[in-house]
Amino acid sequence: MENKILAHDNTTAISTNRLTKAFGNLVAVNDLNLQVMRGDVFGFLGPNGSGKTTTIRMLLGLIRPTAGRAVLFGMDNAYELPAILQRVGAIVETPTFYPYLSGIDNLRVIAANSGMVSGKANNARYEEVLEIVELNAAKKMIYRKYSLGMKQRLGIAAALLADPELVMLDEPTNGLDPAGVIDIRRLIQHLSSLGKTIFLSSHILSEVQQVCNRVAILRKGNLIKQGDVKELLREQEQIEIRMNQTAETERALRLIQQFKEQGAHWITQINLDKNNREQPIIMIDAPTNRSAEVNMVLARNNLFAAEVHPREGSLEEIYLQAVQAPAIPGMQPETQAYPHTLPEKEAML
Amino acid sequence: MSSIPQPIAEPKEPQFERSQNVVMGKQDFTSVLLRAIGGELYKIWRRPLSKILLLIGIIFVILGFAVISIGALISASSPVESFLPPSCGSSNSVQTPCLNHLPTKQDLANAEQAKQQEVRAAAAALYLPGSLSTAVNILNFIGVILLIILAGTIVGGEYNVGSIRIMLTRGPTRAQFLLAKFGTMLVCSLFSLLVLGLIGIITGALLNLTIGVSVDFKFLTGPWILHSILFLLIAVFSLLLYCGLAICLSTLGKATVAGVAGALIWWFVERILSSALSFFGQTIRGPFGDFLKAVPDYLLFNNIDALLNNQQQYMSGGTAGTLTDIHAILVLIAYLGCFIGIAWWINEARDITN
Repeated sequence: MENKILAHDNTTAISTNRLTKAFGNLVAVNDLNLQVMRGDVFGFLGPNGSGKTTTIRMLLGLIRPTAGRAVLFGMDNAYELPAILQRVGAIVETPTFYPYLSGIDNLRVIAANSGMVSGKANNARYEEVLEIVELNAAKKMIYRKYSLGMKQRLGIAAALLADPELVMLDEPTNGLDPAGVIDIRRLIQHLSSLGKTIFLSSHILSEVQQVCNRVAILRKGNLIKQGDVKELLREQEQIEIRMNQTAETERALRLIQQFKEQGAHWITQINLDKNNREQPIIMIDAPTNRSAEVNMVLARNNLFAAEVHPREGSLEEIYLQAVQAPAIPGMQPETQAYPHTLPEKEAML
Repeated sequence: MSSIPQPIAEPKEPQFERSQNVVMGKQDFTSVLLRAIGGELYKIWRRPLSKILLLIGIIFVILGFAVISIGALISASSPVESFLPPSCGSSNSVQTPCLNHLPTKQDLANAEQAKQQEVRAAAAALYLPGSLSTAVNILNFIGVILLIILAGTIVGGEYNVGSIRIMLTRGPTRAQFLLAKFGTMLVCSLFSLLVLGLIGIITGALLNLTIGVSVDFKFLTGPWILHSILFLLIAVFSLLLYCGLAICLSTLGKATVAGVAGALIWWFVERILSSALSFFGQTIRGPFGDFLKAVPDYLLFNNIDALLNNQQQYMSGGTAGTLTDIHAILVLIAYLGCFIGIAWWINEARDITN
């Protein structure tokens, strides 16, 4: 029993503990500690070759980790993989099916391997999932003749077939046109509203920002960042101030610095920068809803800003900062704790 | 107040409910395996390749029986006079009976009897019980080739296409996935034997009708039926062994071609190797020669032939194989164990990447 899970928290869908995979000398995933809660729409980001697909494959048991463990629904995937897979629907990279079978026949074969009964009992379900991905008209078309987008849709249909609790989608929008991308976004939102957990690996950051509530960013196999999307975006918020004269800019900079030192801890950093018209601007790393406060401080000291811009953060900036920052060997990822903190023993998994 | 410590309540797993449209089956090992076999058979049924292979098999069996019937047809259509003994002037042999007068009615009757005997002997492979052996012998050639192609394809195709990623993330374990392939090939071997065997027997019977040899069903006794069943089971087992080889090599090579080419080369080369080793064994002599001579006794086809011949001996009085049943069975089980074991080990240990 020692190898079985040590603790079980039924709010956790996925947790990995120091999950590592090395292919010879190449460490594809290094000491990964992920945590996905039930009901999350979890964005899994990273450049090509960062280890996203390797991680997904380890979670699904397609490849064995070199070290570490992955626990899904409280079950260790090294010991209880079939029971886990019964509750997971996944597409890994571009899904591939049997080219000589039609779309619906492919679903029938997959259903037989997903624990569903054969025969006509599940015909309504085939129709249902084909309807969801809008492939009903092409259900009898041979898979070989499908376009890339249709293949991707069939992959999603196959992932949803057994109505799983956790849906893992690895680049689901590959090959889809803009309308298809929007459909996938709506589908993810719909699945999320049904209480399903979505694990989404994607390069389309704007989509991830719109649908995900939590994200993790990988780079070269290391977890760089993990946390709540809103929190991460809040960290990126800035207040941009432009004064009319250079002397005013310098005074304003000193004033805001003093303001910070006097107790405005919500100001994390103050920088002097230039805008695209080469005018000096003050960049304050602070929540945008504090811009009026900053403006008031300046006004009290007879400094009147020419422009005050609250700047929202974007996942793209967070991503680029994370993946472009110089790598520090053995660095610890910036990980936000969940609001509902886990028991200590779970964290020790 | 009780001092007995209360067990710590385990957090209850939230109930996972699927859509009402999803009808799940039993999840025990056997049910999952049987459904996986069902899925494999469905793929084979819907696949054009399997239909083409079946068609080739049918054509080959019909052609095989047609070729065998040629000798009997020639004999049957020959004039009775051609079965008379040669005239004494043309016969040089003292011992061969010859005719030194014009054929009498008795001579013609004897010639007719000789003709019937020759036709009967030539057509023996076309009607029961001989046609059963003929059908199985044809299947042991073409059936092996076709089933090797099918077995190599159903395993290697998963890697070639990439569908293995989907199949291994649906629930069945890797062992079930592999056993489903073996189970599928067992069903296919049985199906091939029954369908092609039946077609062969019917074809032989129809050809025999044109020849006109009367069929006697006296052979149909209890022991004959028992040996026939054993004979058919051995034939299925032999087909399954070569399928197992193809599955093993396809798994090893992660490709259809590895299984198909590898198994066909093995099937072809072991016959040459057997003859070559026997020849060198006799030439070299001594302990090494004895070793070389003994090696063919452990080759796949020799043991299959031995088992089949041992049954045929009971069925139609043929010659028994040189190897005993127990030797052959043990060797063949060892082969099957190796094929399944190697494929299982590779399958379990392998990372499924691109």
